[in-house]
Amino acid sequence: MSEKFHAELDLLKQDTIEMARFTRTLLADAVETLVHDDVTRAIEVKSRKREVQERTICLEDRAYQLIALYQPMARDMREIVCILKVIGAAERIGRYGKDIASITKHLADQPSFPREPPLVHMASLVAAMIDDVIDAFEQENLSLLDDLASRDDVVDELWHSIFRQTLTIMMEDPRTITRYTSYIMAARYLERSADHACKMAENIHYAIVGERIEIK
Amino acid sequence: MVNTMTLATPEPSGLNVKTYENPLIGDVCGDDVPLQPGETPSPVIHTENLNLWFGEAHILQDISIDIRQNRVTALIGPSGCGKSSLLRCFNRMNDLIDHTKITGEVTYDRENIYAPGTDVVLLRKKIGMVFQKPNPFPKSIYENVAYGPRVHGIRERCELDRIVEQSLRDAALWEEVCDRLHQSAMGLSGGQQQRLCIARTLAVGPDVILMDEPCSALDPIATAKIENLIEGLKQRYTVIIVTHNMQQAARVSDDTGFMYLGKLIEFGATTQIFEHPGEELTENYITGRFG
Repeated sequence: MSEKFHAELDLLKQDTIEMARFTRTLLADAVETLVHDDVTRAIEVKSRKREVQERTICLEDRAYQLIALYQPMARDMREIVCILKVIGAAERIGRYGKDIASITKHLADQPSFPREPPLVHMASLVAAMIDDVIDAFEQENLSLLDDLASRDDVVDELWHSIFRQTLTIMMEDPRTITRYTSYIMAARYLERSADHACKMAENIHYAIVGERIEIK
Repeated sequence: MVNTMTLATPEPSGLNVKTYENPLIGDVCGDDVPLQPGETPSPVIHTENLNLWFGEAHILQDISIDIRQNRVTALIGPSGCGKSSLLRCFNRMNDLIDHTKITGEVTYDRENIYAPGTDVVLLRKKIGMVFQKPNPFPKSIYENVAYGPRVHGIRERCELDRIVEQSLRDAALWEEVCDRLHQSAMGLSGGQQQRLCIARTLAVGPDVILMDEPCSALDPIATAKIENLIEGLKQRYTVIIVTHNMQQAARVSDDTGFMYLGKLIEFGATTQIFEHPGEELTENYITGRFG
């Protein structure tokens, strides 16, 4: 019974990690569609939301079943709770990706960015944070989380910087307001995604060592 | 120190016996002073470097544990780890096994229960026991409960009636049997028989109730009734329960001790033991990776 439970738990964890990687890719692809005004690809990226939703429900159901059937304790219980939290955070990241792809579609008839915006750099930082958090969970290697708080600080600073710069651009040229307001939204979604990565990391740390930490 | 088993005739008690309004039923836990916030209940049973041998077999090794008053303490561990033997040390039930040797100290109410001159009968009155399999006497329900008080000298019918009713109420059985007190206890269901055995234990006014797998022979409904009962009992008694069912330990206990190969590996608050135990061995057992 115990072997069956642990086999199912391992499989659930692996599928959750796969789902988290799926939503991380969705987010990164969505930012690319926004930067390159690629509406066709944005439509495809947006359509992945259904799969995120289906995977979320399926994984959560499997977690609930494991709890109901086996009443896990200690590390097993912490791991299942962590999986549920990771599913929630990953689903949220996927939704942010879908929202950014929607912005791309919405801005199809708006003038393009004059040059590659700092959003690209921000997106790469956030994607790397999510990657490390997922890897830490998969490999149970907490050292990957060591500098997460300072990386989140960099993302926060970028968000504030983008906000200020964008305001200036919009004040100088009101025709850019539609595009840059959406752009601020996209930057905000990325900043929130980084926060979700930190939240996942806190839960992963608790699942592995049983001690709570706060990453901020 | 070394205590050699002696099963001599009980001598005058070395135990610190409290006086109560009623000799058998009442506030058996002493002063009813509520605990202040942050205050921990004092240990009612304490062991220090307790070692137990059955012949050559070293059953318990250096067990030091504090059982706190008015709390439910669960002992868990794989079969043969010594948890039932430890439980039986608390009221000297191991005395009944041949070639037993015990070293170290077990105190109840700050008195060494293995000291020469300890009144074992009185000790087992103060530290009662409920066994795995319900074992009612082949007598009526009433006589099962009244048996202990009678042995301890209570003869008045009205006093016995009061003790029987109170004990059955405390054991959450009164409503089910009040109209058939003089029918045979053997006609009760397994769960009712076990609650009758608990009532029988309560009837002599114990401080501590030892329970050795009290639900392992019961169905889930009867188990739930016993578990609810345990929750109520701890208001007035200290309960120590040995169980193989870890969910049960988690549900009913305040403190949990994990034992393995005769050693107490970890002892602490139940929430801590079942959420994030400090020892890897405990975690591996609780999560079913061995045992």
